[in-house]
Amino acid sequence: MSLAVAPVRSIPVPLETERGTYGMMCTILTEGFLFVALFASYFMLGSNKERWRIEELPKLHYALPMLAVLILSSLVLHWGERRVKEERYAAGRIALTLTILIGLVFLTLSAFDYREHWQHLTPSTDSYGSIFYTITSFHAAHVIVGLLILIYVLFLPRYAPAAQSPYRPYHVAAMYWHFVDVVWIFVVGILYVGPHL
Amino acid sequence: MSAGTTAVQQRLQEIWETPKTFYGWFSTVDHKEIGHRYLATAFIFLIIGGIEALIMRIQLAQSDQSWLTPEAYNQLFTMHGMTMIFWYAAPILSGFANYLIPLMIGARDMAFPRLNAFSYWTFLLSGILLYVSAFMGQSPHGGWFAYAPYTSLRYSPGYGMDFYALALIFLTVSTTVGAVNFIVSIFRLRAPGMAISRMPLFLYSTLTISFAILMSLPALTVDCVFLELDRRWGTHFFDTRLGGEPLLWQQLFWFFGHPWVYVVFLPATGMASMIIPVFSRRPIVGYPYVAISTILTGVVGFGVWLHHMFAVGMSDIAMSFFSAGSMTISIFSAVQVFCWIATIWKGRPVPTAAMHFAMGFLALLVIGGLNGIFTAIIPVDWQVHDTYFVVAHLHYVLIGANVFPVFAAFHYWLPKMTGRMLDERLGKWSFWVMFVGFNLAFFPMHLAGLGGMPRRIYTYPAGLGLDGLNMTATIGAFIFGIGILLSIINFFQSLRTGQIAGKNPWNADSLEWETDSPPAPYATVHIPTVVSRHPLWDDHDEEYDPKNERVFDDGRETLSTTWLDAEPQSIMKMPEDTISPLLVALALMLLFLALVFQWMWVALAGAVGTLFAGYYWLWPRPEEKLA
Repeated sequence: MSLAVAPVRSIPVPLETERGTYGMMCTILTEGFLFVALFASYFMLGSNKERWRIEELPKLHYALPMLAVLILSSLVLHWGERRVKEERYAAGRIALTLTILIGLVFLTLSAFDYREHWQHLTPSTDSYGSIFYTITSFHAAHVIVGLLILIYVLFLPRYAPAAQSPYRPYHVAAMYWHFVDVVWIFVVGILYVGPHL
Repeated sequence: MSAGTTAVQQRLQEIWETPKTFYGWFSTVDHKEIGHRYLATAFIFLIIGGIEALIMRIQLAQSDQSWLTPEAYNQLFTMHGMTMIFWYAAPILSGFANYLIPLMIGARDMAFPRLNAFSYWTFLLSGILLYVSAFMGQSPHGGWFAYAPYTSLRYSPGYGMDFYALALIFLTVSTTVGAVNFIVSIFRLRAPGMAISRMPLFLYSTLTISFAILMSLPALTVDCVFLELDRRWGTHFFDTRLGGEPLLWQQLFWFFGHPWVYVVFLPATGMASMIIPVFSRRPIVGYPYVAISTILTGVVGFGVWLHHMFAVGMSDIAMSFFSAGSMTISIFSAVQVFCWIATIWKGRPVPTAAMHFAMGFLALLVIGGLNGIFTAIIPVDWQVHDTYFVVAHLHYVLIGANVFPVFAAFHYWLPKMTGRMLDERLGKWSFWVMFVGFNLAFFPMHLAGLGGMPRRIYTYPAGLGLDGLNMTATIGAFIFGIGILLSIINFFQSLRTGQIAGKNPWNADSLEWETDSPPAPYATVHIPTVVSRHPLWDDHDEEYDPKNERVFDDGRETLSTTWLDAEPQSIMKMPEDTISPLLVALALMLLFLALVFQWMWVALAGAVGTLFAGYYWLWPRPEEKLA
C-alpha cells in the first residue's frame, strides 16, 4: 500500500456510543404497546357485562411488597449506573448483583402470589382468570428477560479498558429494567388495586 | 476490479467484502446482499401466492365446479392472503429499503447490520414454518384475518390455526427488528448535510411505517397469543360461555390491521415520489406537503380500524367517528396524488417502463381510493360487506398501490443492483399486459359484489348472472400472470445481454446513483456530503474530500450524524460478518415449530438455544472494543 494515498484522519472524531440507547428506546416503545394491547383487552373483556363476578378480589399483600421490591431494585441499579459513569466499576458491579438478587426476590414473591390466587382462580376458570394470568405472566417473562440481560452485563468482560468503558451496555440494560419496573406499576394499579376501588 | 483501482479502494474492498465461500454466504451482514435476498424471497412468495390465486380463479371460472373441495378452497384463499399480505407485500418493501436506504443516505451499512441479517433469516424461516402446514395438508383456513370463534379448536381442529398464530408471531419478530433498524439508521446515519428537510421522500415513508410497525404489531402478537392460549392451553379469551369476547379478536386484529395497510402502501408511495420526479425531469412539486401527508397518513391510520367492523353492531357515535377518520385519510392520499400529477404536468415526462408502472399505480390508486370511500360510507358498507366489491377494493389498493409501484421500482433500481439495463420495450409490454389483465380481473368483481356474490365461497350456482363476470375475471387473472412472467423473462435476459448501466443511467438525483452499478461493498470511497434535496442535480461535489477525512478505513466504520441537521458527530464501528444471527433465528424456529405441536421439551431447548445463541452474538470478541 503506497503511503502517498494513505488517508490521514485529521479531525479527531469520537466513537459512536448511542446506537444501543436508540435501539432500546424503540424496543421499549414496541414493548410498551404490547402491554397497552394487553390492558386494553383486560378492559374490553371486563366492560359491558355482568359476567365478571370476581368472587374474591385480587390479594394485595404480595403485589404491593413486590412493587416496593422492584422500585428498590431500580434505585439500586440507577445508583450503580452512576458509579459506572464515574468509572467506579466495582461499585457498579456490586449494585448490579444486588439488583439481580432483588429481581429474584420479586420472582419468588410472584410464585407465592400465584399459589395463593390459584386456589380460587385458574386461567381456565373464566376470561378474567385468562387475562389475569396472561398479563402477570407476560410481565414475569419480561422480568426474566431483564434478569438475563443484567446477568449478561454482570459477566461482560472488559477488553481494552482504556478505550472503552462498560457504561453503555450497563446503561442500555438499565433502561430495559426500569421499563419492566414501570410496567409493574401499571399491572398493580390496574389488575390488583383497581378492583378494590 | 478495474485498472483504475486505487490503493484506498482496494483497502476498503478488503475491509467490507464478504468472502464468497459457503460460510461467507451464511454469515454476511452486507445490507446489499440482505436486500437482494429479501427481494428474491419476497418475490418467490409473490409467485407462490399468485399461483394459489390462479388455482382459485380456475375453480371460480364457471358455476357449480367442484374440483376443489370447500376445505381446500378455504385453505387456498387463507394461504393466498397470508402469503401476499405478510410474506410478500411488506417484505418486498423492506428489501428495497434494506438495499437502498444506506446508499441513499450515504452510509456504508445499516445501523445494526447483524440485526439486519437476523431480520432476513427470521422472515425466511417464518415463511417456511407457515408452508410446513401446506405439506401436512393442514394449512390455516380461517381467512387471513382469522375471526374467532371460528378459529377456536372446537370449530377448527387440526394444526392449521396453530401454524397461523405461531408463524405470525415469528414474523413479527422479523418485522419489528427491521423497523428498529430502519429508524436508527435513518436518524443516525444520514450523510453530513442531509438535514431532515432534505431527505429523499422514500425515507419519510419508511420512517413513518417503521413507527407504525412498532406501535401496531404488538396488538397482532397479543391477539395470536390469545388465540393459541385459547386453542391449546384452556383459556377463554374468545369463548362467550365463560366471559370471553369474540369481538376482542377483531378489535386487536384491526388495530394492527389497518396501520398494516399503510405499512404495505406508504413505502410504495415513497418510491413513486422518487421515480416520478426523475422521469418528469424536475424536482417533485410540494415536497413538504408530500412529506407531511405521509406522516399524517401514518398517524391517522391508527384511528380508522373500526371501519373494518361496521357490520358487527356498534354505537352510531363510534361508527361515525371512524367513518369520518377513514374519509380524512383520503385527503392525505389526494395531496400526494395531486403533487405527483403536478410534477408530471410541470415537467417533461419521459415514458420509460418504470414511468409506465408509476402512472399505472396512479390510475389504480385513484380507483382503489374511490371505491374505498364507498366502503367508508356506512350504509354502502353494509350493502357490500363481505362481497366481491370488497375483494375488488382491496386488490385495487394492494396490487395497484403495492405491486405496480414495486414493478416500477424494479425497472428503476434493478440497473443499480445488477449493473445492467432491463429491456425497455419488453418492460412496456409487461406493463400493458399486466394493466389490462389486472383491470379485466378485478373490475368485474365490483359488479359481482354489487350483484350479491359473497367473498370466500368455493362455488356459486348457475343462472345468477355471475358466470360471465367470473369467467372474465379468470381470463384477466391469467393475462395479469403473463404480464408478470414477461417481467421475469426481462430480468433474466438483462442479466446476460442487458446494456451496461453505468453509474447513473436515468440521470437521477439521489445519492444511490453516485455509486457504481452494482455498488462496491463499501459504496463510495468518501462518505458524501449533501447541500440540497437533489444531491446529484446540484453543483456541489458530494465526494470532494481532498484531505481524505471521510474515508474511514480503520476497519468497518461509517459516519454518524445528528438526527435533525445531520452534522457529523461520531464514527460508528460496524460489526464483522457473523453466523450468530442465523443461529438465533434457527433456535427460534425450533421454538415456534415445537410450540405448534406442544412438544414442550423441544420448545424449552429452542428457548435455551435462543438464549445462548444470543449471548454468543452479543459477547464482545477480544479484538473488538466495547461500544
